[in-house]
Amino acid sequence: MREKQDNLQKNIPLTEALFYILLSVRKPNHGYGIIQEVEKMTQGRVVLGPGTLYGAIQSMAAKEWIQIYSEATDSRKKKEYIITDLGREVFAEERKRLEELLRNAAMMEGEEND
Amino acid sequence: MTKFRLFFNKDEETKWLNEMAGDGYALTGFAAGVYVFERCQPGEYIYQIDITEGMFRVNSDYRDFMKEAGIEIISMWGMWVILRKKAAEGEFVLYTDVESSIVHYKKIKKMFMIAMVLECVCLLMELIAFIGGGGILALVFSFFLAAMIIVFIKEIMRVSDILDELKERIGEGLRRNRKLPSLFIPVGLLMNGLGIAITVEAIDRYGAPFGVLKGFCHIIAIVCMAIGIVHTVRQG
Repeated sequence: MREKQDNLQKNIPLTEALFYILLSVRKPNHGYGIIQEVEKMTQGRVVLGPGTLYGAIQSMAAKEWIQIYSEATDSRKKKEYIITDLGREVFAEERKRLEELLRNAAMMEGEEND
Repeated sequence: MTKFRLFFNKDEETKWLNEMAGDGYALTGFAAGVYVFERCQPGEYIYQIDITEGMFRVNSDYRDFMKEAGIEIISMWGMWVILRKKAAEGEFVLYTDVESSIVHYKKIKKMFMIAMVLECVCLLMELIAFIGGGGILALVFSFFLAAMIIVFIKEIMRVSDILDELKERIGEGLRRNRKLPSLFIPVGLLMNGLGIAITVEAIDRYGAPFGVLKGFCHIIAIVCMAIGIVHTVRQG
């Protein structure tokens, strides 16, 4: 358990790209769909380049944070990916870290009000 | 239309391809420095250059992924892939964050390092061949290889500068001020090699103009190397 926790710790912080890609494959999603969803979630602030997305998908698939959901056999071949249990654990760990950041960030306001 | 160009700097190459596309010439093929263009609407395409793991091929995952994103693979040469996308479909930048840009430039640096080590091994072999009485040609090749090694060192240093700058942006490390070797040095080495290639026998056989040419090559070589050294030391 202890060892597993250490392994999870090693993977965070996630880059912004990895964070949003993981969020976009909570339901099956394909390459272009991920780009669109991330763009929508961030109101156009984060637009993933194809090189960035391809590299991220390859490395996360190798680390088994995501897996291939379906490889459609028809001519319009679109590979879909979905998050794995391990991917969810990494994401949860990162979320804990981000919540801590935000909690502590509130101190800035607290001191101003004092 | 075909054009011959030697690029070692992929960023300059990308810029040139996009300028050509802006003027209405779209790249349709590439091999060994020969670029083949076709007419297109000015600014119809945006070009980008990627580096991959494969040699003269990309895996099917990469191919499918790019196709799905509306990106055409124009050419594969060594580890390099030239890609293009219709400008009407919006922006086309391959790497949009610091982390993936670092991975990209690290791959480029590694490729140049391996190539440079191989060239050094070749240079050593040519020098041994020359010392062992292998003839003038071995010495000519040595100068040619030395010139290539310097060009590659320059590219490695340029990429290292980019990597430092990227790492600085995510709070890792600091930028250094590198002195990139001047291109006058490899030109000087090449000229010297050319001068050596014109042998005394050749001058005897083909006459005095060859002797003048040989002298001219060596003088240009000395001038270029002198300028190159000053140019390298004085920058920054």
